[in-house]
Amino acid sequence: MEFNNAILSVRNLYKKFEGVEVLKNVSFNLHEKEVLVIVGPSGAGKSTLIRCINRLEEPTKGEIIFNGNKIDNKTDYNKLREKIGMVFQKFNLFLHLTAIQNITLPLKIVKKKSEKEAYKIAMEYLSKVGLKDRANHYPIQLSGGEQQRVAIARALSLEPKVMLFDEPTSSIDIELIKDVLDVMKNLAKEGMTMIVVSHEMGFAKEVGDRILFMDKGEIIEENDPEDFFRNPKTERAKQFLSKIINI
Amino acid sequence: MGFDFNISLFMESIPYLIDGAKYTILFSLISIVFGILIGLFVSLMKISKNPFFNILGNLYIEIIRGTPLLLHIMIAYYGLAAFKINLNYFTAGVLALSINSGAYCGEIFRAGIESIEKGQMEAARSVGMSYAQAMRFIILPQAVKRVIPPLTNEFVAMLKDSSLLSIIAVPELLRNARQLMGTKANVWSPFIGAGLIYLVLTLPLTRFASLLERRFAKGGV
Repeated sequence: MEFNNAILSVRNLYKKFEGVEVLKNVSFNLHEKEVLVIVGPSGAGKSTLIRCINRLEEPTKGEIIFNGNKIDNKTDYNKLREKIGMVFQKFNLFLHLTAIQNITLPLKIVKKKSEKEAYKIAMEYLSKVGLKDRANHYPIQLSGGEQQRVAIARALSLEPKVMLFDEPTSSIDIELIKDVLDVMKNLAKEGMTMIVVSHEMGFAKEVGDRILFMDKGEIIEENDPEDFFRNPKTERAKQFLSKIINI
Repeated sequence: MGFDFNISLFMESIPYLIDGAKYTILFSLISIVFGILIGLFVSLMKISKNPFFNILGNLYIEIIRGTPLLLHIMIAYYGLAAFKINLNYFTAGVLALSINSGAYCGEIFRAGIESIEKGQMEAARSVGMSYAQAMRFIILPQAVKRVIPPLTNEFVAMLKDSSLLSIIAVPELLRNARQLMGTKANVWSPFIGAGLIYLVLTLPLTRFASLLERRFAKGGV
């Protein structure tokens, strides 16, 4: 696959939590339409890294350039987050709202859409994730897989330039994971630019363009998915992969 | 003087006691409404990351909760007069009760807001909502449900504590009972009457609160 210019550039990023360095000198580029998969043991700093991108976390040091603009304290974070969709491990659907309201509310508040427009857009995205018939269900009435697909629809409805997925399938029953991964695969095929923190090796191999392997706050290895899983360059990646059964 | 309960004196007392109870309810209802408004405000200050608001909210809660309601009533009625603010017993009573319950409601709201899972705020922010929008549309609507039981208990406390207003001659339930003690030369009949009326007011409310608590605990809506 050919890539245009980097849409996102992370340079020498550091993050300290109460004296502990969670991210150490992390740098990488993300290109338009690229699917970047971040793997690594828990505590490696993967989630922190992508949470720094949409500023749910403030990095301690380093810079992030998104769409040609440096993100700093002059950036309007709310505007930034409209352009960077995020999907969480625990779905985080708004629990007091139905599936469709979860999508229409941000459209109305953030994108200033009318009720009618918002409804139309929300229905479109619910159909896209195959949940049109669940529009009026509350999150508590949906399975984990369904909740996550609604969450994906919610993020997509704002038409982001980049989607961040923070372990999107780790809280989902194994038999429901496929539905979520299928949605993500379609998204990748449509050319969405994505960063996916995940241990789904099948997904990484099939749709990932590049793998970042992280450990202890650093990027240890950057590789092509095929090569990474068959023949990792670093010893630590080898050790990590040997512990994962599901390759 | 022994136990002087007398059923006919008791029956005679009831209408006058009910007149007093009307004031008790009126003062409590008005004050809880103001108390809730103040409390909402104070709780948002207390959880704010802005140090000025944060300190202000904390100070309010600590000072009010660390001093007796009776003192607040006295200050509102007698103390403010020194600054040429002469309040009648109605205004002074509502002011004192509202300010007092504002601190307790503040803590109730804070606990309610903090009980909402962190992911809700993060998700709201991640779709581009401002902090204020996230509070208004996502956090508070969920917190409101959870604060209904403790707020009901706060209202029950207010119904009882408003008896302190008798010190500034508000004709509420306990003050009327005490008057009856003088006019009827009888202690137990009016006081048992007053106690029963307090129970009639508070018991259904506490039952309601604990019912809701149990329902929420089971994860119901």
